[in-house]
This record gives sequence, C-alpha cells and structure tokens, in this order.
Amino acid sequence: MSSPVLFRIVAATLLLLFASPVWARLDIVATTSSMGMLARVVGGEAVRVSVLAPRDRDAHHLQARPSMLAALRRADLVVAVGAELEVGWLPAALQGAGNPRVNPGRPGYFEAAAQMPLLGAGAAADRSQGDVHPHGNPHIQLDPERMMTAAVALAKRMAMLAPHDAPRFAANAERFAQAVGARVPAWRAAAKPAPGVVFHHQDGDYLAAFLGVPVLGYIEPLPGIPPTARHLQALVQSLAGHKGVILRADFAPPQGADLVARATGWPSRALPLEPPLDADTDRWIAFIDRWVQAIATDP
Amino acid sequence: MNPVRPRATRPISVRKALAAALLALTALPAAAAEAELLRKLEALERETAELRRQLESLHQSEPAAAVAQPSAQRSSHDHDAHARGDGRPQIAGAGLEPLKLGTLPSANAFNPAISVIFDGFWHHDGVKGESGEIIEEAAGFHGHHDDDGHEHGSLKQGFNLAHTEIVMSASVDNYFDALLNLAVDEDGIEVEEAYGVTRNLPAGLQVKFGKFYSGVGYINAQHPHEWDFVDRPLPHHLMFGDHGLNDSGVQLTWVPPLPTYTLVGLELLQGDNEALANYVGETDSEPVAGALRERSGPRLVTGFIKVGPDLGPDHALQAGLFGGRASVHQELHDHGHGANYLEGSTWFAGTDWVWQYDRGGAHGHGRLRLQGEYLYRVKDLETAASLDEPAFAVGNQRRSTQDGLYVQGVYGIAPRWTTGLRYEAAGLTSRLDRPDGTIDYDDSRRISANVAWNPTEFSRLRLQWGRAGIAGDEGREWFNQFYLQYQLALGAHGAHKF
Repeated sequence: MSSPVLFRIVAATLLLLFASPVWARLDIVATTSSMGMLARVVGGEAVRVSVLAPRDRDAHHLQARPSMLAALRRADLVVAVGAELEVGWLPAALQGAGNPRVNPGRPGYFEAAAQMPLLGAGAAADRSQGDVHPHGNPHIQLDPERMMTAAVALAKRMAMLAPHDAPRFAANAERFAQAVGARVPAWRAAAKPAPGVVFHHQDGDYLAAFLGVPVLGYIEPLPGIPPTARHLQALVQSLAGHKGVILRADFAPPQGADLVARATGWPSRALPLEPPLDADTDRWIAFIDRWVQAIATDP
Repeated sequence: MNPVRPRATRPISVRKALAAALLALTALPAAAAEAELLRKLEALERETAELRRQLESLHQSEPAAAVAQPSAQRSSHDHDAHARGDGRPQIAGAGLEPLKLGTLPSANAFNPAISVIFDGFWHHDGVKGESGEIIEEAAGFHGHHDDDGHEHGSLKQGFNLAHTEIVMSASVDNYFDALLNLAVDEDGIEVEEAYGVTRNLPAGLQVKFGKFYSGVGYINAQHPHEWDFVDRPLPHHLMFGDHGLNDSGVQLTWVPPLPTYTLVGLELLQGDNEALANYVGETDSEPVAGALRERSGPRLVTGFIKVGPDLGPDHALQAGLFGGRASVHQELHDHGHGANYLEGSTWFAGTDWVWQYDRGGAHGHGRLRLQGEYLYRVKDLETAASLDEPAFAVGNQRRSTQDGLYVQGVYGIAPRWTTGLRYEAAGLTSRLDRPDGTIDYDDSRRISANVAWNPTEFSRLRLQWGRAGIAGDEGREWFNQFYLQYQLALGAHGAHKF
C-alpha cells in the first residue's frame, strides 16, 4: 500500500471519529448530583455528564479517588459547588488529572457558589469556630432561587465552550427556571404554618430562609464538630416552649438528633441532601418537595 | 471600585494638558489669536471628555468591571430576593452577568498558601532508646557508614520533637505552580521539597523540577503527616534511607486519556541518596586520592506506572510498578579502625498496592484501607580502595541483594477513630555474594498496631505499639516500641492525593 493511500485512510478515520456526534458533546464532570442535575438539564443532548460524589456522601469529606482523576482528565467542563465545599479533595484531583482546560480560573472550571451572594459570607476565617467557610455557606442545593441563578450562569458558561449551542442552553436554563418558579408558591404555602426547624448542620439554611421558616438551632455545636452533651442540653433548654422539627442529612449520625427529639418530643427526620445521581428537573423538584414536606411536618 | 480607571485615564489627560500648554505657549505672542486659542482649548476638552467616556464604557463591558458595578438590577436581585427570602423569585437571575471565572479561595491568591504541621511524640522502647540505631544496623543492609557525626534514626526515650513542616505553595503564574516544604527540627532546617510544576502542558503531561519526593511506590511521596503509622516502613527506611527517596531533579508524568486512570512517570535525579545512589565523589586524602570516580548528575533514573480502575463509589484501587537505576553508588565503610571505599551501581524495583473501601460512614467510620509494597534492591560494588588491615584487594567484586515488604490495614472503628495493623519484613532474600563466598542474612521483622483519634482533619493523636525483631550479628534482637504522637496542621494546607 502506498503511503498516500495509507495517509488518506488514517485521515478519513480520524475525521469520522472526530466528526461523530459523540465527540462533539461537551464532557462535563459535576462534583455533586445537584450540580450534575444542573449540567444535565441545561446541557440537554449537547453534553455528557458524570458525577464524582455519590449521593449519600458528605461532599466535605470525600477523598480523591484515582477514578475521579480519569474522569477529570477527559473533562471539558467541571461543575463544582465551590465556596470550599470540595476543598478537601477536588484541588488534589484536579492537580493529578493533568488537564489544564479545567483548572480553576479557566472557562472549563465553573463554581456555582461563585455566581451568587452567599449566606454567612465574611465570617472570620478561624478554625476554632469549626469547619467554617469564610466565603459563605456552600450548601446552595436546597435553594430554588440560587439553583435558578446557577442554571442561568451555567448556560452562559457552556455557551462559551460550545457557542453554536448557546441558544439551546439558554432555553434549557429558562425552562428549568420556569418549572421551578411555577412550584415556588406551592412550597411557600406548604411551609407557611411551619413554626421552626432545627438542622444537624448548616445545610438547610438556604431552604429555611427561602421558605421564611426560622432556624431554631443546630445539633452541631460548631459547623462540622460533633455534638457534645453540654451543647445538646443547652439546645433543648433553648427550644423549650417552641415547636418545630429536627432535620438532618441521611449521612449525619443520628444520635444527637434522636436525643433532642426525645427531650423535646419533636419529630426528627433524615433526608438525602442530594437528589438522585441521574436527577432531571422533575426529580429535583420532587427532592425539594420532600424537604418542604419535612419542614412543614405538623409537630 | 475600579482601580484601573483613574490610572488608565491619567496619561491621556496629562498629554492633553501638555498639548494645551504647548499650544498656549505658541499662541501667546499673537494676542489676536486668543479667541482661536480658547476655541481650540474647548475642542480639546470636549475630545478629552469623549475619550474618558469611551474608556469608561470599555471598562464597563469588561467582566471585572461588570461584577464590581452595583447595577440596580443586580442589587435588587441580591438583597430583595436572596436576603429576605420572600416575594416572587427573580426568575433565573435575569440581568445578572455571571461571568466570574474564578473560585472563592480563602487564601489571598497573591500570597502563598502557608501551613505548618506540628509533629511530636513520646517514645519508649525496651532497649534504652537504642531502637533507632538497632534498626539502622539491621543485618544485610549495611551501607555507607561514615563517622561524620550525622545521627540517624535517633529516638530519645521520652519526649521527641519530630520535624515541623512549613509548607508554602502558590501558582507562580499561568505556567507554573511551586511548593516549598521546610522541615525544621532542633538541629536546623532542611529543604524537604522545593519544586516547580507545570500547569499548562497539553496531553496530560506535567513536569516537576527541583527537589522533591520521588513518585516511586506509594508511601515514598507522602509526608510523615499523611502516614497511617508513626514511622516509615522498615523496607523503605533500610533501602531508600530514613528520609525516603528525596532528591533534586526532573520528573515527567503523563496521564493518558484512558477510561482507566493511568499515570506514567520518569525521573532524572541527581543521585544523592545515601542508601541507593550515594556519592562521595572527590577523595583528596592519601592514599585514596582519586580512587572514586567523579561523575556529574543525573546519576539516578527512576520510572513508575500506576493504574486505578473505576470500581464504583465505594471502592478505590491503585496498583503500581516502579524501578530505578543509579549509575554511581559509592560507599565508605569507616569502622574506626580502617576504611573501605566501594564503588559500583545499584538498581531497584518494586510494586505498590492500595485498596480502600468506604461505605460513606460519617468521618471515616467503616472505612477500610489496605496498603502494601514490595521492594527489591541490588548493589553491584567493587572495592575501590582499602585502608583496612589486612586490606581488601582493590577490584574485589561484591553483589548484595536485599528486599522487603510491608502490609498494613487501617479501619475506621468509629467516626474520627481509626485503628491500624502493620506487618513489615526486611531481608527476606538478603544475601551478599563475594569472591570468598556468599553470606545469607536473617530477615528483620516488625509488627505494629495503633489507635488514632482525629478530632478534625487538622489534628490527630495516635498511640502505637510495635514489636520489632531486628536481625543482628547474633540472631534477632526483639524489643518493643511505644509511641504517643500528636500532629497538628494549621493554615491553608492543600488537599491530599489518594
């Protein structure tokens, strides 16, 4: 076989390979399943999404597994929560992946929390105050408004990476926002009579603020620090005369919440902090439904 | 709010002012042209204002300026919808220009992230504090031995301050990251690592240069505060030295775009490792002057490959193969009553395995981590000079082979609590081939168990017991080693790799 013929065959194969729709899709790696949902909903057919953190894990405390590095190596876009939620593992995984396209500061690296104001921002960066995030509370995934903002921001970011799909991304983000927005009155109405809530960690703060339900306390004495007997005692005393519910993420240890529930007679529930790994708009709305119902539980 | 603007406009207005002044000077003698001058000045002022306006609009269209500008829409969105948490949601943040590429780092991006790792322990052994020295002298692992007063592996009975690590790291620019790790102890400061690493190479390539821990094996590249036990495993201690394989040079790594994580690495190192690539170099004292070769670096080449298949979210596995060759290894055996100079080459090879199961329990509860490595080392040396009585014949060949392994498991018995068990063996097939015969050595062994409490990711207390049987000239010497260790990390410390 003469070399020009060989060259043509190789060139044609490469052309076919790179022209196929599989290669044209944006390869997106999301850190949590909420971020995966956003990427899937906004990207639609134009993206492939993989999620690094299993649904039932605390995204603070993952470890950089080798398989994460393989996913990041191939990624066109990383969609992270940010505000240092993933600080314990994502930087190490990115460093080891050797993929400069998704380095922080590049268009291929997106942090949802960097696109919006955060609750608790500007707290003193002092570790004696627990697992604090000086840039604010990173647990935005239960906040319908902030998730809408993140969807729109993500559509713009995806448009930078795949300009010909920009109108599609914008329309998808808009459709997500409409669907969530249509649900908001029902959520607010359901939560209106709720007297208050005690969370294990500060991960429900955004939802409580969104619904206008007061947060009456936390099982943890400081963010990320396990409950102490003294703290729980003080918490139970401060809750005397109030009504409410106790909620925690399903991976949080139950002992503290159970103790407070026994002492106060309040209902205590454990819920997943993240939607299913392959969630779409409907399943994410159903996931928020569960939290709203739990907050609105008649104490 | 935007520091760029005044700086950018100043040169223009200065230039215009100068022009006006010049015009004014030339126009002065002609008083009749005063009206003309005023007209020109007015025109210049208009032009300046127009330029300033254009500049401002340019700045506003830039992302940074857009973010810094508190547009009415933005502030109503932020404060009304988010902070108050009531009212109709502002659908999808209309009008907000989310063009922030960056992250929200808590360290100032211009200043390096600085952290300090405190490490210390209380130690007790059954051999009057000699356990470190006994391990150094394990049979079959004799190496470079120079009475230069540099103490190795010395462990005091009682309180010990281990290395305090001071780590600084930052992005140098668009092209490089850099890290400095200083180990401070009561005797002084040592540079453990000082390297730059590329940020932007394509195709999964990275180049690290400077002084760093070699990527061979698993535990070698880890700092002591990342270990699951107080001490370095015996095979690494005896075959890579008590600081591990840590040298100056260049490392090239490649992560190919495969579905399975694969890392391939190649290192060119100076060859300054007492155990593996010792370099004495110039010997100027008679009668050994010129007996040893002088050879510029790199004298040590290493390579490694690591593979980590995707086993789902609960499992993580990484397996590796590694090896290396030192073109020059020189030993001085100074026993106080004479000395021998040996010279030759060494090579080593090994394999490393790590498997972790994590069911997602709180704070490491239920996490099981198994880890093991095997190391094999060959030293081909010949006598270069001898001051012994009677002297060894120059050119005498000696080939020593040594090996060792460790296997350890660490399990999260409760949130924040781990317990670990480790078995080490060094010298399983150790032997020394000399013209006058072969010496087979006993192996040295140790078993260690520990319990650790990690109040947070930044602090740790660990109690460890080890029972070592170290091979010596007269059989194995058995002794216990107790440690009660603390490790504290303060500052912004980077996340650890798998």
